[in-house]
Amino acid sequence: MRPLAITGVGVCGAGFRDWTQARALLDGTAVFGARAVEKFDLACLPPIERRRANETSRLAIAAGLQAVEHVSVAGRERLPTVFSSADGDTDVLAHLLAKLAASEIMLSPTLFHNSVFNAPAGYWSLGCKAQAASTTVCAGRASFAVGLCEASAQVLATDEAVLYVAYDMAFPEALRSLGRTTMAFACALLLEPMGDDVPGPLGMIEGWERDVGAHEADAGPRALAEAFAGNATAAALPLLTAIAMQAGAEIRLPYLDDERLRLRYSPWS
Amino acid sequence: MTPLPLAAATLTNACGVGLDEIRRALRAGTSGLRHNDFEPALGLDTWIGRVDGLESAALAPDCVEHDCRNNRLAQLCLEQDGFVAAVDAARARYGADRIGTFIGTTTSGILSTELAYRSGSLTPGSPLPPAVESAAGLSPELYRYKHSMYATTMFVRSFLKLSGHAMTISTACSSSAKVFAAAARAIDAGLCDAAVVGGVDSLAMSTLFGFHSLELLSRRPCRPFAAERDGISIGEGAGFALLDPQAEGPVSLLGAGESADAFHMSSPHPEGAGAAHAMRFALSSAGLTGRDIDYINLHGTASRANDLAEDRGVVSAVGKEAAASSTKGWTGHLLGAAGITEAVISALSLIDQWIPGTLNCERVDPALNSNVRVKSQAMRLRRAMSNSFGFGGSNCSLVFGLGR
Repeated sequence: MRPLAITGVGVCGAGFRDWTQARALLDGTAVFGARAVEKFDLACLPPIERRRANETSRLAIAAGLQAVEHVSVAGRERLPTVFSSADGDTDVLAHLLAKLAASEIMLSPTLFHNSVFNAPAGYWSLGCKAQAASTTVCAGRASFAVGLCEASAQVLATDEAVLYVAYDMAFPEALRSLGRTTMAFACALLLEPMGDDVPGPLGMIEGWERDVGAHEADAGPRALAEAFAGNATAAALPLLTAIAMQAGAEIRLPYLDDERLRLRYSPWS
Repeated sequence: MTPLPLAAATLTNACGVGLDEIRRALRAGTSGLRHNDFEPALGLDTWIGRVDGLESAALAPDCVEHDCRNNRLAQLCLEQDGFVAAVDAARARYGADRIGTFIGTTTSGILSTELAYRSGSLTPGSPLPPAVESAAGLSPELYRYKHSMYATTMFVRSFLKLSGHAMTISTACSSSAKVFAAAARAIDAGLCDAAVVGGVDSLAMSTLFGFHSLELLSRRPCRPFAAERDGISIGEGAGFALLDPQAEGPVSLLGAGESADAFHMSSPHPEGAGAAHAMRFALSSAGLTGRDIDYINLHGTASRANDLAEDRGVVSAVGKEAAASSTKGWTGHLLGAAGITEAVISALSLIDQWIPGTLNCERVDPALNSNVRVKSQAMRLRRAMSNSFGFGGSNCSLVFGLGR
């Protein structure tokens, strides 16, 4: 695939609420301390949807909104989106399974429509009145890399910007036998076609080679990598670190099976 | 977009296992729907499209860790219509690592987890004691290989011995229509040279009780586009197609359009605005206009609001000329497998020069203005459109044509 520009970035998770806070952790100027995920209020949603949107959608949308801060309202309405997640909304899943295990089964319509894997994408389109194409993909532990490929392929196919949002939540206590992710993490990248070989204000990515060698996937800063171990979206940490430090880097993302996807990041300057 | 030939295709659902049986059911006007006899959801007074024999089916020996109803259904389907042989030939030509796998599903193998929790008599909101967990078979492996959204794609890749680019698309009932668009993009971008696309969704408690909570389940076999329509019938099914740019397939994907409603999480835009956008994008990506479409396989779920919205969208984006029908009276609503199923039925219509009518629809709702055909008929057609719309306002429309 051809090189792409990164023109917006957003991050939130347990311990940081936005890119400014995350950047300080990624470039080493601040020390990470795990905290509960902040409750994001989505003022962009109509009041009923604002109440109905669950924590997963709030986190994913909060990351997405950071990445399009500089994009006009009209621009957001036309902006296609790609969402990715390995495990989707684990909190809603726990509620759903509990309701289905009860002797008398009564589901609420809101719980059911929140249980679709593309619920965050649906709330995004409601909040931004975005009618452009939107998809939600999953590839297990390779979800971040595969979603990035899908978003990039869309940029190249349409020659227009695409917002990529990746998110994965903690597994609630009730589902601890299914998964052990303990910390929520979401990030977003606004991807655009390259103009006249000048990278976007945040840099560019290129490469996209499958790496079947013995190299491990990169993990990013140790404290963060350890805290977010098991969270498939935290595979973004090395790329986010390179963006935060504005340092060129070769990055290996966890890809399908035991492979890595190798990308080259180059900064703006 | 560059036309993308379908080198092979297969379907399995309540109407039949494989394309021969499904063609026969379509010709004979025989519905696959039956009154709900699915044990985990017995209390619901509704009709379902159930595939027989899945309870006793076995997965291929090297795939047993994926054993669940959804993957059994996937395998049963993959074994029909010479599909494996077609993939083998493509693998020999391109290499296993150059063939992508793009699968749509809404619930993957969630039934396994639903039943495991149910057998453990979970107290809502609290974790199970470890002994109960292990007796019920709950484990990270159950989640990863059977239940997770990627599990279905993982199984299909493993069964077909493919190692190329892959993803699950889960956008509710548009999932396995959108796989065509994603595969076409991936081939264009050089991420793969050819692609297996498909969709698999099997009966599950969450979907049956979920649609019940929305009061969307009919107590009778669903009657799409009928004046008396009163809700949907849920079915299970699987379908796959091999997209091969070098094939001389009798039918090709000509265009794909995707859009979002930005209106409501579970209700369509009343004027079908989002649906119309998807149809317009599909037409423009195929370089066609509404007049070029001879037949539309409607999403046509038989919910009052959905059929009305789709009708408005069809009239505004395609017009009133194209013959249109919904095949959900045969199959039920296959959710994440609806897109591939109706895409392949559209392809069969082109090959057979014959369009299915709208089973169970005796009288078309006079409030609907598209050219809905109640009766099946032989017809000359060159291009067909297939519509799929889902929760979250996710819309996808595909255009297929004869030849390359």
